[in-house]
Amino acid sequence: MPVPISQMWTVASYVVKQKLAGRKRYPLVLMLEPLFRCNLACAGCGKIQYPAHILKKELTPEQCFRAVDECGAPMVSIPGGEPLMHPQIGKIVEGLVARQKYIYLCTNALLLKEKIDLFKPSKYLTFSVHMDGQREHHDFSVCREGGYDAALEGVKEALRRGFRVTTNTTLFDGADPNSVREFFDEMMELGVEGMMLSPGYSYDKAPDQKHFLGRARTRKLFRAILSNRKKTWQFNQSPLFLEFLMGERHYACTPWGMPTYNIFGWQKPCYLLQDGYADTFKELMESTAWQEYGTESGNPKCANCMVHSGYEASAVNDTFSSLRGMFATAKATLFTRHKDEHALKLLNETVRPVHSYNPLVQIEEASGQLEETNA
Amino acid sequence: MTGPADGKTIKDADSLEVAPGFAHEKLEGWVPELAGEEEVRQALEKAFDYRGDVTITRKDGSTVEGYIFDRRSGKTLADSAVRLFPKDADQKISIPYSEIAALTFTGRDTAAGKSFEAWVRKYWEKKAAGEKNIGIQAEALE
Repeated sequence: MPVPISQMWTVASYVVKQKLAGRKRYPLVLMLEPLFRCNLACAGCGKIQYPAHILKKELTPEQCFRAVDECGAPMVSIPGGEPLMHPQIGKIVEGLVARQKYIYLCTNALLLKEKIDLFKPSKYLTFSVHMDGQREHHDFSVCREGGYDAALEGVKEALRRGFRVTTNTTLFDGADPNSVREFFDEMMELGVEGMMLSPGYSYDKAPDQKHFLGRARTRKLFRAILSNRKKTWQFNQSPLFLEFLMGERHYACTPWGMPTYNIFGWQKPCYLLQDGYADTFKELMESTAWQEYGTESGNPKCANCMVHSGYEASAVNDTFSSLRGMFATAKATLFTRHKDEHALKLLNETVRPVHSYNPLVQIEEASGQLEETNA
Repeated sequence: MTGPADGKTIKDADSLEVAPGFAHEKLEGWVPELAGEEEVRQALEKAFDYRGDVTITRKDGSTVEGYIFDRRSGKTLADSAVRLFPKDADQKISIPYSEIAALTFTGRDTAAGKSFEAWVRKYWEKKAAGEKNIGIQAEALE
């Protein structure tokens, strides 16, 4: 099932309105973090390194609604922490659905079966389930054996009840492209609406500082994964952003495209970096020194970033900036195969992470030699 | 922030094979000397980056322990301030740099010792011992 036309129309008409109004900087997705508490403790995550009194705090539904109204973006992503641990998450989602916002509730799904009665299926609500690859890869990535199976149960239950479900997958140095491709097959067979992908970002507060892809490796990995695509694979992302990950496009960062609101306020400058907080969305937009961020600025904290929160809005903006952008998007939507002989060869290469002590390539033996028919 | 303003920039990010990552100093328990303006600014920048609580002693002798989530740097210490959530209160407070007499990194660094390597080592040790459902548990909120 593809993204509903109503969602595409809502986003397209919103962006066109911003363009017509001459707004150079506009938000596309509000990243609403109602709490930082989580029931996982992934080493690569930089979102939960807080003292207990901070982890106990959470936004009220009213604070969430105020932020959503203030920002005005047509889509709201609810990450965290684990949003299903918020005692009023049902009320928050209900309020956002009433505002006709398209919501991506980002969850590790460990609690999804238990909490699913809090929600009603709606075209406005999608469970975006964190799945970092096949079972062993996911479990290692989230530092929890059994995490994959629990998430899978949640996905199945949500699908059975008629909810929109996507997966979101973060890839780190050492990811096996063949395994990722097999994972895509498994998720599509399961019946999810689409998949989302992103390279991991090396949060400066995360315990793990070693397993993040640099830009050169990111492009190589995503070229191997996303070339020679199967027709069955559906991605719930801008097709131009996927081409950006594959190294086929160059974009400058759009940190204001996915602004973040949490218990501290409006986060400067983006979802990934914490360089201070503004009290209002207006203050965020007007007081942030945007020129100091993005890879092109030379800021070392942005050096490896190719993450959706900075670049997917750039890709969407490109779509609506010119006829060339529209045409490129139409082409990328209709012709998804991306046949590439060199990428096939990449799939046959042994995965060699920069830091050798990486279990992701030790878990499974490398897949056999691939031929084009496998692609 | 280690950004362009510091002159430390990465020019050819597109050719990076792996992200360099960030090195964290062991700051837990540190009591910086706040002798002059530069020391005050540097210490509070480190406090802003710290993954735990700090205790601030004001010049009037009062103390507040909490998590610094923001700092606003002005031209003088009087118009620069840190913003924090006190450990025992729900309201954010702001303290001008000029009112700070002492700073101590009293809270635990909440990420120290939790590297990916530590997790992998733990995993294989427990696996070898025949344990099931191995994982890093989220910390209890004491």
